[in-house]
Amino acid sequence: MPKISLHSILQAANRETARLLHGRIYWFCILIAPVITWIFFLSMMCQGLPTDLPVALVDLDNSSVSRELARQLDAFEGTQIVAHYGDFGEARKEMQEGKVYGIFFIPRHFSADATAGKQTVLSFYTNNSYLIAGSLLFKDMKTTATLASGYVLLKTGLAHGQTEAQIRAKIQPVVIDSNPIGNPWLNYSVYLNNLILPGILALLVMCVTVYSIGIEIKEKTVKEWLAAGRFSITGSILGKLIPQTIFFFLVGLLLFVVLYLGMQFPVNGSLMRMAAALFCLIIASQALGVFMIGCFPTLRLGLSFACIWGMLSFSIAGFSFPVNAMYPPVQALSNLFPLRHYFLLYVDQALNGRDLFYSWTHYIALLGFLLLPLLVLRHLKWSLLHVPYQP
Amino acid sequence: MKSLRKISTGISNSFTIWSKELKRACGDIGVFLFFVVVPVVYPILYGIIYNTEGIHEVPLIVVDESHSSLARTFVRKIDATADVQVYAYATSMEEARAAIDNKEAYGILRIPADFSWKINRGEQATVALYEDMSGLLFYKAVLLATTEASLDGLVACDASPVHYEAVAQYNPKSGFASFLLPAILILVIQQTLLLGISMLATTTREKNQGRLIPPEICYSGTFRIVFGKALAYLTVYIPMTIWALIIVPYIFQLPQSAHYATILLFALPYLLACIAFAMLISTFIRGRETPMMILVFTSLIFLFISGISWPQSAIPAFWKYLGYALPSTFGIQGFVKINSMEATLNEVTFEYRMLWLQAGIYWLATCLIYGWNLGRNKLSNESTIT
Repeated sequence: MPKISLHSILQAANRETARLLHGRIYWFCILIAPVITWIFFLSMMCQGLPTDLPVALVDLDNSSVSRELARQLDAFEGTQIVAHYGDFGEARKEMQEGKVYGIFFIPRHFSADATAGKQTVLSFYTNNSYLIAGSLLFKDMKTTATLASGYVLLKTGLAHGQTEAQIRAKIQPVVIDSNPIGNPWLNYSVYLNNLILPGILALLVMCVTVYSIGIEIKEKTVKEWLAAGRFSITGSILGKLIPQTIFFFLVGLLLFVVLYLGMQFPVNGSLMRMAAALFCLIIASQALGVFMIGCFPTLRLGLSFACIWGMLSFSIAGFSFPVNAMYPPVQALSNLFPLRHYFLLYVDQALNGRDLFYSWTHYIALLGFLLLPLLVLRHLKWSLLHVPYQP
Repeated sequence: MKSLRKISTGISNSFTIWSKELKRACGDIGVFLFFVVVPVVYPILYGIIYNTEGIHEVPLIVVDESHSSLARTFVRKIDATADVQVYAYATSMEEARAAIDNKEAYGILRIPADFSWKINRGEQATVALYEDMSGLLFYKAVLLATTEASLDGLVACDASPVHYEAVAQYNPKSGFASFLLPAILILVIQQTLLLGISMLATTTREKNQGRLIPPEICYSGTFRIVFGKALAYLTVYIPMTIWALIIVPYIFQLPQSAHYATILLFALPYLLACIAFAMLISTFIRGRETPMMILVFTSLIFLFISGISWPQSAIPAFWKYLGYALPSTFGIQGFVKINSMEATLNEVTFEYRMLWLQAGIYWLATCLIYGWNLGRNKLSNESTIT
């Protein structure tokens, strides 16, 4: 086995840097594609929370009370009444066509019944096929309905000589002072882009790793590459990957500049620790990439494997759907995805600013991915030298 | 007579191309992977990940400074909800915060010392709730359960005559799988077609000195090439579509309100639009492995641009109209409406028409490009002969 030396690594790294700078596909995957995704996701969610979600109003009461209710609902930033209907069926059709995400229904004789003390029911419908829109509207419509009940009590109660405070206490004895930790604005952009954007970068890291090794087989340049690394497979791989690490890390840091300095996303912990997490994410993804092409030493299969793994990681990392809600075997599997550990590091170190004590295991876990290539290095070298390109 | 013969050779050539393309698709492991394995396996994987639909019994930690029976009643009411479970009582906020830091609990409820005193005096009492924001579903569960308990009268009072009912329409469990899986199912069809067809086209180029059309006798007319190829992809994708749009939702018990015929009728223009779109894109890509590198990251963009998670009304105009160029945008919107929202083709007229329009435009554009390539091939053939 040829010895690995600093010189061999440097030589392979030089060769790789030139290849990266001259390959259009590398420019695309390392710089252009990430920047496209930043522009897309950050401009898409620039409002933070969707505002003015369209709602249909069915007001069969048509009294001053019901109009006041409608005004209050419309006044919420998140809600906008876009249409009035005299009949529930029409409103439902609008909802089915996706033109409104919710319906607020005020029954006939609502205000007359309520002030007379007769039971009456307000109904509101949210279209939960659009889960985010549905949940946001639910909140606004529920508050309006609660207010309505208060409004009526207030009118009747005042007539009986009770004070406003007393009545309020009857309607809602316990008031909740809600404090979302770390993201008090409930900003979706903060919530999602802190993970989607590094996640896409990690996906591209994995693809580029696999591609840059596999393409040597396809272009029949394996010998040249290994010669640059003095036929040490470790040296050749390190030399190939270190320039990519540097480029990707620089792009990742640029992302941090955009997110944390430009967009002022909150960092309640330390940026240094987040940068360390990002670096670990990148090298863990590279290691996983080497492992994939090592297991499937054909460019196409290795790449497919990387794509499939990388896409799944967005779901299994648990930032939109929590991992504790998944089946136990899936929970265990989630540990095999670097993005899962990066997510937990983000939660600890940026969102909550926790002590390192709570997070070090995830740094170790990411570094643990570096052991994977060791399992396949020999096999990889053998296949590099002996297995021809299979289209 | 002559034109009749031309038509008959055209048709027979089309079917020759159809069978050649089918054989290539099945014989090429990379293409087979995207045409068959991924569409079959991916929906199952996503189904397994999201099948639990939601989070229940989110652990909440309570700091009770009131030590009153009223406070305990309040906490019991929260504990009784399906969403939240009271994990423990902490003696101080520091202790509670440590439990959050350890991810043992996802919310803190702090009940102040004057809680029962205030309520007994007929005043409003304020409790503080701290929600962990690492997952919006945690936040939602904790806040909703506490709000629910707070509105449920702790003390007897002459309640308001106004009641309300909230109806979670079309997704009664507010489930995550019911919400996201239909969109993923549609998107998988488009993305695998894009990857598979691009891979076939780029392979043809690599095998034929950069030419999109092989110099064989059957590839002698634009229409027969495009028709023959498209038919081959359609043949593979009809069973895939039935699997993804009908069988998978059945396996995972997703809400499926539509008749199968409606789903398939809607799927037809979607498939045609996807195939034409993919064939068009494939003509611009060089290198057999390039499609994966340049298309894989688009899946997330296409998912968000469709307006299923980020509401369409909040998408900036530029992205919204860009999304109109993608079959997946209308495919997802239409399929979700048909599948989950009891819509018939009548209610999705807009999406349905747009898909046919896309299919037409992309088909025309593909024909133009193939026609141009064919002309170029002929020119270069003549120049090599002379």
